[in-house]
Parts: sequence; C-alpha cells; structure tokens
Amino acid sequence: MNTATPANSANTRSSTRRPLRNSLRLRLLAGTLFWITASIIIAGWGLSGLFRQHVETQFHAELKMHLDQLTAQLVLNDKGQPILSQPLSDPRLNRPYSGCYWQVDSLAQDAASGLLRSRSLWDYTLAAPADSPADGSIHQHRIVGPEGKMLGMVERSVRIEEAADGQVRTFRLIAAADESLMAEPVARFNGALWLALGLLGVGLVVAALVQVFIGLAPLEKLRGALGRVRSGETQALEGRFPVEIMPLVEEFNSVLVQNAEVVERARTQAGNLAHALKTPLSVLANAAAADNNKEGALAQLVSDQVASARQQVDYHLARAQAAATTRIPGTRTPLLPIIDGLVRTMRRIHAERGLELVVQPLPASLLFRGDAQDMQEMLGNLLDNACKWASHRVEISAHSENDQLRIAIDDDGAGIAVEQRDTVLRRGMRADEQVPGSGLGLAIVGDLVHLYGGQIVLADSPLGGLRSLLVLPLAR
Amino acid sequence: MRILIVEDEPTLQAQLAEGIGAAGYAVDTAGNGVDAHYLGETEPYDAVILDLGLPQMDGITVLRKWRTAGRTMPVLILTARDGWHEKVAGIDAGADDYLTKPFHMEELLARLRALIRRAGGHASADLSCGALTLDTRNSRATVAGQALTLTSHEYRVLAYLMHHRDEVISRADLVEHIYAQDFDRDSNTVEVFIARLRKKLPPGSIETVRGLGYRLTAPK
Repeated sequence: MNTATPANSANTRSSTRRPLRNSLRLRLLAGTLFWITASIIIAGWGLSGLFRQHVETQFHAELKMHLDQLTAQLVLNDKGQPILSQPLSDPRLNRPYSGCYWQVDSLAQDAASGLLRSRSLWDYTLAAPADSPADGSIHQHRIVGPEGKMLGMVERSVRIEEAADGQVRTFRLIAAADESLMAEPVARFNGALWLALGLLGVGLVVAALVQVFIGLAPLEKLRGALGRVRSGETQALEGRFPVEIMPLVEEFNSVLVQNAEVVERARTQAGNLAHALKTPLSVLANAAAADNNKEGALAQLVSDQVASARQQVDYHLARAQAAATTRIPGTRTPLLPIIDGLVRTMRRIHAERGLELVVQPLPASLLFRGDAQDMQEMLGNLLDNACKWASHRVEISAHSENDQLRIAIDDDGAGIAVEQRDTVLRRGMRADEQVPGSGLGLAIVGDLVHLYGGQIVLADSPLGGLRSLLVLPLAR
Repeated sequence: MRILIVEDEPTLQAQLAEGIGAAGYAVDTAGNGVDAHYLGETEPYDAVILDLGLPQMDGITVLRKWRTAGRTMPVLILTARDGWHEKVAGIDAGADDYLTKPFHMEELLARLRALIRRAGGHASADLSCGALTLDTRNSRATVAGQALTLTSHEYRVLAYLMHHRDEVISRADLVEHIYAQDFDRDSNTVEVFIARLRKKLPPGSIETVRGLGYRLTAPK
C-alpha cells in the first residue's frame, strides 16, 4: 500500500445540532412562553370584564340620573296633564333615535303608554313590560326599542296629587338607552386592551429570548473552552464563569490536573519497574553468557528466557505508558524540537555508520495533539530503524494535511518486501535478525499510533529504501 | 586505556569490571553518583560507562557536572531506562552513546572501542603505525602480519600509544591510563614495559623525548 487513507479519527465531534427536546434553552423558552400567554389572557379577560362592569354601572347610573331628573321635572298642568316643568338637560334626549330616551306612561284606569315622550323617540312608543313597581322602587328591564335595537331601561312609579281635585294620579316614568351606547366603549376598550397586551406579550417574549440567550451564554462559552481543551489548545478550562458554574469548572480543572498527575506517577512507576527488572536481567544474561562460553544447556535457557522477559517488559511498559497518556485531554506537542532532539541523538548513537541525517524544512508551528514522550517513542523507533537499515541517507519530512499531521521517514536501505510489511508491524516480528534489536520497535509504534487513532503506512521510499509514514492528529 | 564503570548494582558492576578488564582495559568502579562525580573530575579516564539510576546523585546530574567542568571524556550511558525521551535527555546532557539493559557484553565492548577510537580521531577499528597494526576488536597487535605476544600491561601501554600516535606521552600520563586507581603504581615499571615493547616492535618505533616522555611513530 502506497497511499494513506485518512485516519479513523477518534475525535469525531458529536453533532453540534442537538435534539430540541433536550435543549435547556427550549425548556426555558417554553416555560416562559406558557406563563406569558396565560398571564396575558387572564389579565385581558379580567380587565375587559372589569371595564364592562364599570361601563354597565355607569350606563345604569346615567339612566337612573335621567329618571331622577324626569321625576323631578314632572308636574301636572292645570288640566291635570303631566308636563315637564323644564326640559331634561341631556341633549341626546332631543335628537331623534339618538339612543337615549325617556317616556311617561299613565297607570290609571285609562292606562295609556307614551303620555309624554322624549323627542328622541320621535314617533315611537316604548313598550314597557306590564308590571307596576312598588312606590319608589326602580326596576330594570331590557326591551326592544326603535329600529329594533335592544334598550336598557329603568322605570319607576310616581304618584302625583292633582291640585284641583286632590285626586292622586299614578305615572310610570321610563328612562332607556340603546345598549350599543354601552357596547361601543367596551369594544373600543377591548381593542386597545388586546393591542396593548399583545405588544406587552411580544415585548416579554423578546425579553425572555434575550434573557435565555444571555443567561445560557456562559454554557456556550464553557463548551468552547472544553473544545479547546479537547483540541489541545489549552490545558485547562480557561476564563471567568458565573458563580453558578465556576465550581463545576474548578472541579473539572482539578480532575484534569489530577489525571495528569496520576499518569505522571504511573509513568515514573513504570520506569522504576523497568529499572528494577532490567538490571537483574542484565546480571542473569551476563552470567549466562560467561557460562555459555564453557558449556551448558542451562546457560542457553537462561539467555533465551532473559531475552523473552526483556521483550515482555519492554512491550508492556510501552503499552502501559501509552495507554495512560492518550486519556489526558489538552496535551499538544510542537514537532520540531522533538525531531531535532532525536536527530541529535541518532547522530551520536549511530555515529559509527556515518549517515547523512536530513530534516526537510518544516514549519515550526506543526503541533501534535498528544504527548511529547509518545511522539518521541514513535519517531525514535522509526528513525532508529531507518538509521539501522540505511546505506547513507535518512530523511525526515512533515506537513499538515486535512487536519492531520503527516510525518515521513525515508531511508536508502534495502527496504522491506511488500508482503512482509504487515508482518513487521506485528508484535515481536523482525524482517531480519542480522541487526540487533528486540524486534518490538515497529510493534510499539503501531500500538501507539492506534491509540491515537492514527495510521502507520510502510511504503517504498523515493530514496530507494523504506518510507514509514505516520498519520497522527494535528493540534491547532 | 582506563575506564570508569559507574553502576550501583554490585553483581552487575563486578560483571562489567570483569568483562571490560578482560578486554584489556584498566578499570575503576563507582557505586554511587558522588563517588563517580569525584573520580570523573580528578582522574583522566579514556571512557566512562554510566548508569543513570544512582544513589546520592543521579547519572544525568553527574554527567552535566562533568561537562560543565570541561571534562570531555567519552561517556556511554548504560541504563534500563529505554524511552526515547530518556535517550534524548541523556545525549543532550553530554553522553556520547546510549545502551539499554539488558545488553550483550560484546555490543558494549564494541561501542566502547568505537567511542575511544572516535575520541582519538580514528575512523577504523584497526589502528596502524607503519608495519605495526592494532586490532582493537580482539586486542591483537601484529607487525607485518605477525602476531605479537603481549602481557596485559604491555598491551595497555601499546594501545594508549597507538591511540595517540605521533604525540609525546609523558610517563605520568601512561601511568594514569594503564593502571586502575587502587593499583600500586610505580612509574619505573613503565620503563620496564617500554623496554619490553621496544624489543617486540620494529626498531625506532618508540622514541624517548628527553624530559618529556615517549612518542610512537612509524620508523623511517
């Protein structure tokens, strides 16, 4: 395989569109909207009712006032006929069909409706229900008036003593008004009321939206900060947050720090364990080698087992250290210093081979999203291999592509046959036994690359030997 | 050639001393960082084998102190710590080579030879001076193809002179580089070794520079 496919990236971001059902924003908005609507409807209904009541009261008060005026002005003339001593004050009573009416009926034996009527009634006579209110009491009714309109009316009975014969005559006094006189201001009021409430509602909804967005903005900021930790830009959640979520942020940061400490401790312990195990292994191996010169199957056995134990220790330590690292979010490593350090080291360690180690110019801004030691381990093993196998020249180049870091290590050695390339990436496999090494280097690299969700590809090098291509996550 | 071995594990230290001594080197040992630092500061070693995990002062610190003080002898780090970050740190502290445990004695010796050779500016494992050839890989000296029979001290004197051919080497220098520290030194014995070597080498190979010391050159 000569080309690398994009790494099966382990950092696929969870979709930024979350189901609305689970949105805090939506919950807050739905709650607020419900209360705003309910309050406005109740307020509107209540206010409109109150106003209607008020208008009705006023309507009836006015009718009663007309009635009182009528009562006060009603006198009998010389012929014993009822007349008004003075016209009533309300001008509407004189305008035909204005909606305000009065009427005086006689309640004597010669009962007659409409003895006296307001001018506004014109030629119409109000047909009051046939009842006779007790003296002084006021009755309310609804009747059909001119043009078929519904009228509200009040009536009362009045007894007037005729001066001439001392006879008492009884009249029914009626004041009436068109109910539309009452409905109109109510309708006008309602119109204005619902418009005002509607505006208030819109205002409240806008305010609620603003509040929710401003209120939840720190959460958005927190998400951004988390994203930066994930992508390796920062080591901890940075920035100031409201007191309500600050404890959460601090707790998270302390977990991050603790995590890093645990990993560091695990590493140190792994290193100590390596040291503690390998020195006795060295002693055993040397003793066996010294003995082997003479004779002995035991010596051979010890040598073999020591070699095997060393492999196990190397492999599992490398794995344990790597597994610990990749869990720490927020680590990022500049590539250039690592390559420089390794090249210095390779020049010393492989000084005997007189190789030309060339680092192709690479931007100093290339950042690996992961741990420096892991990067050193991967590149170190690959470079070491290249230096072991190269004839004269080893080249290192790196660039970023599609959010990935691509590092190629080329040598001009014999290369590895295509059918063997998969095998050498497996644990403990070696393409050739002639160059010293535990045969674990490439397997460790393979494991590390896998842990980072990256890829390692062995291909033909333009230099003639092997090209090892690492595809790893890039940090921005 | 005189080597300092710094290793805190006594058995391994003994094995190293034996293996390296058997290859024809004078060997001193140190079991902790402070002793190692002192010896490296005061004695003229031709190479040092340095463990990193040491009591009292760790190997990297010892190495840094030597380099800061201007000590330039080749240093090979021999350690169980085999992470590349540790190797880089070791090399950057001034080490010349890095070998991880467990190791093969042959590989250690090969690297040690290479270090000493490179420090003297020699490219090949075979050092030659006229008809005289020294194969550092198997500690064998030949004159025109004929193998010389040398005692271990004679070999050390010859090897040191071969590594510094055409240079004037004082008797004190020779003493410093052929004896381990605790050896009962007698500078007169150097004259004895030189005299014996002169008999075995082509005539005129070792000149005496009056008042200064000896010089190995190819006879004209």
